[in-house]
Amino acid sequence: MTRATVVAVGRLAVDYRLMIVLVAVSILGAVSVNDFVAFDTFQSVLNRATIVGLLALGLTPVLIARQIDLSVGSTLSMAGISTVMLQPMVGNVPAALLGLLVGVLIGAVNAAIVVWLRVSSLVTTLATLLIFASLALLLTGSRPVSSPDPRFGLGLTSELFVIFSPRSLLFVLAVVAMFVWLRYTPSGRRLYAVGSNPPAAASAGVNTNAYIASTFLISGLCSGAAGVIQALSTATGSPVAGAAMLIPAITAVVIGGTRLEGGRGSALATLGGVVALGALTAVLEFNGVPSYTQAIYTGLLLILLITLDRLVDGGGRKAVRTHGKTRAEVIPNPAVTRRKS
Amino acid sequence: MTQTIASPRARLREIVARLSVPGAIVVLLIIGSFVSPSFLSVGNLLNVLNANAAVGLVALGMTFVAVSGGLADLSVPANVAMGALITLGAQEAVGPIPAALLGFLVASLGGIINGLLIGYMRINPIIATLGTGFVLLGLSQLLVGGGIVYGEPSAIADAVSGSILGIPVFVWIFALTAAIMAPLLARTSFGRWTYAVGGNSVAAEASAVPVRFTKAAAFAMTGSLSGLCGVLIGLSNGQARPIIGTGYEFVAITAVVIGGTSLFGGNGSVLRTVGGVIAIALISNLIVLTGLPTQSTGLITGVIVITAVAVDVYFRRKEGRT
Repeated sequence: MTRATVVAVGRLAVDYRLMIVLVAVSILGAVSVNDFVAFDTFQSVLNRATIVGLLALGLTPVLIARQIDLSVGSTLSMAGISTVMLQPMVGNVPAALLGLLVGVLIGAVNAAIVVWLRVSSLVTTLATLLIFASLALLLTGSRPVSSPDPRFGLGLTSELFVIFSPRSLLFVLAVVAMFVWLRYTPSGRRLYAVGSNPPAAASAGVNTNAYIASTFLISGLCSGAAGVIQALSTATGSPVAGAAMLIPAITAVVIGGTRLEGGRGSALATLGGVVALGALTAVLEFNGVPSYTQAIYTGLLLILLITLDRLVDGGGRKAVRTHGKTRAEVIPNPAVTRRKS
Repeated sequence: MTQTIASPRARLREIVARLSVPGAIVVLLIIGSFVSPSFLSVGNLLNVLNANAAVGLVALGMTFVAVSGGLADLSVPANVAMGALITLGAQEAVGPIPAALLGFLVASLGGIINGLLIGYMRINPIIATLGTGFVLLGLSQLLVGGGIVYGEPSAIADAVSGSILGIPVFVWIFALTAAIMAPLLARTSFGRWTYAVGGNSVAAEASAVPVRFTKAAAFAMTGSLSGLCGVLIGLSNGQARPIIGTGYEFVAITAVVIGGTSLFGGNGSVLRTVGGVIAIALISNLIVLTGLPTQSTGLITGVIVITAVAVDVYFRRKEGRT
């Protein structure tokens, strides 16, 4: 094969990676597990993937806008423990709503620091990741909190229709809503402009700061929803519930084809990535692979995909060399760029 | 290299950066002496330093990462765990000293992988090290089956937990490493490359600075020093779990940032990080002495990091750099 063919095949593989991963996981499951390809399996995979899926869904617009939110796991923990701790005081439904509000507030903190103080989203959300993880431990004294009304959230994981549980239906509806917003509304399309070329978007009259801020609010809302649903369906608020969920969430988004470099991505692709990762987890579990080994596979998959993205997107080292460090190493802050222009 | 253009603002920033750490340490010492009468004793201060010397090693490596514009290395906990687990786990098979060397080497390998991904593949350092950290932590858990590893008592274990001339060995090792790393950054060509890459990597590349190597080396060094940290903690505790290094990445980042080194590259020094480590040590001691819950440490360090970085960003913007 010539070099050109190799590059073309590589590009195809990267573009259709979601299909490749989904087919590979299905084959792996069909070969290694009896009756893997069935509605039952799909229902349980989707149901269990809901939590990581909501985090991934919230991350999608953030990544499209060329930002990152590392605090989604901590937000999940905070929303979960807030809901459970507030249940005895204000009742079930208000507590769940307040849990969502906690998520949005954390998103607002991130947005304020990124947009007003102009700190890059990587550093901002790294710090808020630490701050809210500590706050969750502080509020609960490092112990999980039990819900006073365990039956309230039990229905969330029960069977609804053939392939859904109430919570996975909720997740899929959220995906559809996000898909319609990103694909069919002018504001959704402007978000892609903000991510792919911030100065151009700004000079075209797009308020880039508002778009960036709103992606953090959406991410906070989605992580908050994930936390509330997780806490209600397990009747427990754990201060470390979200600690190990950041990497799976980012991996799911990246499997779907959303780029860390901004300007590309889709909610449906993220759904695909979530299902693929969930199915992979299920296959590994059916085969008795311990959870820490699953972490190895997930992490390797993430590293492999982002490396491929760099290789194909940048056309190898030479092309990247010309535009120096910023694209790869510091996700630039469009807010700053806008100010300069 | 750092500030050759002496605009008044740049000079002010330089003065603030230079005096902030010693100033902070003095303030902390004064607060501490009011909080508890035992705070200002030599014994307490040595203890405080001793408890933070191991994570201080990581901060020394993290300084190179930050100065080269690599933001931060989040795989530190995994490399610390690898160092500690292998040091203790391989003792029976190969003896304590080879086991310690092996632990150090494996963690260094983790650092080299980070370096290759970030320096040569140009992957975003935060995402890359999050990913490698996730994988390496999984591997270290696989290694011990999720449990605890116990070490045998040995001469080397006694040596690292002892004292020489009344000063703990940990502090000696930290001081010696700092004494090597400080001139490495301040006086050698490698150090100048590191500043150049962090300051303006395009210009550095054009001036024939080995940009990729310099970035990769910063992460490789951090991996090695995290490994050394793990080896020392493993030996002195006599036991290790995969979660042994949890949170060390944040302590190291905070020490670097408190020291006044910018996470966005181009300036900073090892001595400032040493000051940052001392400040962090005093802060965590104060948290304990004032009876605040230990979980609030993360809260306080997180707020310090975001404040320091916001101030840094503010000054950079005023100077017209981004």
